[in-house]
Formats: sequence, C-alpha cells, structure tokens
Amino acid sequence: MRNSIGSFALAAAMIAAAVGAQAFDQTKYPDWSGQWRRPSGVGNQWDTSRPPRQGQAPLTPEYQAIYEANLKDQAAGGQGTDPTYICIPDGMPRAMNVIFPMEIIIQPIVTHVMIEYLSMLRRIYTDGRDWPENVEPSFMGYSIGKWLDEGGRGRYDVLQVETRNLKGPRSFDASGIPLHADNQTVVKERIYVDKADPNILHDEVTTIDNALTRPWTVTKNYHRERNPVWVEAICAEGNQHVRIGNENYMLSADGYLMPAKKGQAPPDLRYFDRTRK
Amino acid sequence: MLQRSSMGSIALAAVVWMTSAAAQAFDESKYPDWSGQWRRTSGIQWDASKRLGRAQQAPLTPEYQAIFEASLADQAAGGQGNDPTYKCIPAGMPRIMTVVFPMEIIISPKTTYILFDYSTPRRIYTDGRSWPKDLDLQPTFLGYSIGKWVDEDRDGRYGALEVETRGMKGPRSFEASGIPLHQDNQTVVKERITLDNANRDVLLNDITTIDNALTRPWTVTKKYRREHNPIWYQNDCSEDNHHVTIGNENYFLSADGDLMPAKKDQPAPDLKYFKQSRK
Repeated sequence: MRNSIGSFALAAAMIAAAVGAQAFDQTKYPDWSGQWRRPSGVGNQWDTSRPPRQGQAPLTPEYQAIYEANLKDQAAGGQGTDPTYICIPDGMPRAMNVIFPMEIIIQPIVTHVMIEYLSMLRRIYTDGRDWPENVEPSFMGYSIGKWLDEGGRGRYDVLQVETRNLKGPRSFDASGIPLHADNQTVVKERIYVDKADPNILHDEVTTIDNALTRPWTVTKNYHRERNPVWVEAICAEGNQHVRIGNENYMLSADGYLMPAKKGQAPPDLRYFDRTRK
Repeated sequence: MLQRSSMGSIALAAVVWMTSAAAQAFDESKYPDWSGQWRRTSGIQWDASKRLGRAQQAPLTPEYQAIFEASLADQAAGGQGNDPTYKCIPAGMPRIMTVVFPMEIIISPKTTYILFDYSTPRRIYTDGRSWPKDLDLQPTFLGYSIGKWVDEDRDGRYGALEVETRGMKGPRSFEASGIPLHQDNQTVVKERITLDNANRDVLLNDITTIDNALTRPWTVTKKYRREHNPIWYQNDCSEDNHHVTIGNENYFLSADGDLMPAKKDQPAPDLKYFKQSRK
C-alpha cells in the first residue's frame, strides 16, 4: 500500500513538474492586467504633485537657462524644447506620463509595457541578462528589470527597472523641461500595486541625467480599468504642426500654411523659384 | 479502509491542487510556440508572389481600378497617389501584416497580441466575445479583431489562429503602389495563422480581404521567418520624415531643411496667411 501511495505521489510530482516546465505560473507574478490610466484631473506634467509648469526641476544653471528660453519661445507661440509636436515619441521617462492608456503584459523573460501612442512599446527584460553591446539607442531605451518579493508572500510584488541607451530629443513634459543633449540618461523605476487598493499602480521614477543637479524622483499613479476600450491615438492624423527647417508653422483649418508666432517669416521658397527657371 | 480513505484524500488533494494550478496558470502547452521575432521573407508588395503595383492583378472593380491607375500616374509624376502612409498614418489592416518591420506575437488565453515596432499593437480577442455594438462609432486603422484557436489535428494543442477583423477606418491601401481599399471602410479581413509543418521557424498567414473595392475576396499568403535571438529596432516614422502636406499637396523637405516641390513644376504653397499677418 505504501508503494501505491509512493507511486501516486511520484506520479503527482511528475505531473506537477511537467505542468511547471510547460506552464507560465502566473501565481508567482502580480496581477497587473487591464488598462492603466493616469488619474482624472492629472495633466501631462512630469511631477504630478504640482500643477503644470510649476514643477521644480533640479536643473543645472545651463539647463535652467535652456528651460527659461523654451518657456519664452512657447509663450510666443513656439514649441520650445518639447519635440513631440512633430509626432516624435515621448521617450523615457516621459512615456510614463501615460498620456494615453497603458497595458502591461507580464511574462517570465520580458514584461511588455504598451502605451497606445506611436511606437511607445517598452520591453523590460527580466531574464537576468546584462546590458547589450552595440545596440542602437532609442527613444524608449533598453530596460532591464528584476522582480522582487518584498512582502515575502511567495509572489513577486515589485518590478525594479533600469533603463539606459536613450536617444533624444526628449523632454520631461510638454512645458519643455529638458534632458541633457548627451542622452546619458539613466531611469530607475519601482513599479508596484498600492497595498490598500489593488486598482492603483504606482511607479516611482528616478531620473539621473546630466541636465540635473541630483537624481529627480517623482511617483506616478495609474488607475485600473478592468473592462477597457482601446482607442487608437495617431499623432500624425490631423497634426496641424508643420516643421520646415528650424521653424514650426501651423496649418489653417482651410489647409494653408500659417505662422505659429506673431511676425514669423514665411518659409524660404527658393527651390520653387529654381524649378520655374 | 483507513488507507483507502487516505489514498482518496491524497488523490482528491492532488486533483484539487492541479485544478487550482490550471485555473491560475496559463497552460502554454495548449498553444503553439510563436515566440521570437517574425520578419517578412519578401518585399513590401501585398501578394508576395507578384511584383508591386499593376503586376499584383488586384481584383478591383472598374471604379477602383480607375482610382488605382490615377494613383500610379500621380506616383510616376512624383506624388504619393493613394498611399497615405507617407505622412506617417498607420498602414492599418490588412497592410500592417506585410510586416515591413519585424513583429512579435504574445499569446495569452484571452488575447493574442501582435506587436510591431512602428505601430500600436493588434489585440486579437479569443475569449469568445461578440462584436461590440458601437464598432462603427470608433473605427481604427487596425480594426477590431476576434480570433478563435483551432486544433485541427486533435493533438491537444492548438495549431491555427483564425481571425476576423472589422471596424476599420481609412485612408488605407494594400501596399505602397496605392492599390486602394473602398472609401466606405466596410473591409472585412479574415486570417488563418499557422506554423509551417515543414519548418517550425516559418509562420504562414492566409489573408482574405473582403472589400467593396474588390470584385471578389482577395486571398494572399504571407510568410514570416523566425529570429530566435532578436534585436528590436524602434522605427519612428515622424523622426526623419521629409514629406510635408499642405492642403492637398505633398511637398518635400530638402537636406538643408527648405521646402521643395515633390513634382515637376509644382507651384509653391499659397502663403496668404503670412501676407495677412504682416498687415
């Protein structure tokens, strides 16, 4: 009889091992399914604890001057140091403003963060890999993550992420708070669900950048929608901004080029003159 | 008796444990392995077996054949014809499945995701849902996709994903030559995605497009090759796009950033608002 029990236990163990080998054990990972949205009333400012344009970015004097010049340009109708008006992706860390909703797909090797805007797809590798060599920089960068079981409950509850290998131009938000032109930004994140409310996700984002005098940490909060509707947000569709040379112009409702700033000179049309010769 | 009871309890416990594990875990063994990076094996034409353009022999209605011919004439003159993607509008369905840049497929029980590095993702819902009632109210370039897993050889593992996509918006074309889809956007796309039986690193997608610009459903087979150790490159259309649309005209940006004609003898844009601003 003992043998029978032993055989059964062995069989059960073998089945369990087989299931374990083939299946992705979701019970080890947190449930971050659904659609994550920024809280209502929160704009697209980087530091959401302060109203837009009233954040206190710890900029170096050089980059504070760049930021001030940008604000002046924006006040005059320009776009300053915000590059996204021509549909360039937000990049990291700004993508985590989550202007349009986000979905997170957790798999053992990689966690995908999909933001419904342009090509703002993040792959966070959690397979223990090292930083790659000779990978082209990108707006979203290269992300390596590590799952932590801080609660000691046998289930991961925090995803710690580091992102490098970014390219520019990028800014923290639409006010144009700049990141350094050297693109040596390092972004560290801690992503976890709120202990009191499983439908709130937090992302503590620390940006280390040569435009800053110190690492800058802000906490982003997202609300879960369990029955989401996904709406395509296509920047280029209906974008009224036109960039010609270093100037930004606008398209009028009737489809003509128009100045974006008071007294702005029209674009140089010398190539048209040449073709008429 | 006691032993029999103990055995029963152990068996019951094992079954409960396994049922619980099955309920909570995603049993990958039921689904095909489509992991990795999938790359196209041919050019960017719609029917990979034929050349781009007229050689595709798209079964267009006479009305849409005329639209296509006008598109070709415009492209020959330097315009973009019916290809809307030059201004970074998404390719949409079905054209996105040409996979100009690589794709990744993530299978989960309720949704299969197709990720592209230059577009928002496709979500193919496999949870048995019906078409949403307001499908036509919020159409998208990629449409709304409902899928069904099929185990045709009854080996206990799904082999094919059958997908139907509706709820699309335009403008869209089949390929860069501008083969048009109907302006009514009533396109229905049916796909059957399977691994090649002869080579598990080849994925096949039989795509049938039903559209009012066509005289009959048009079926093509797309083939993708697997890269097991991929490098992903982000492709951002707007980053260095030299096309500029002003009104209905497409212009070009020169290397030095000035506006230039895209066609011979193209007139310069009307700058009337600049004249007004100088008053």
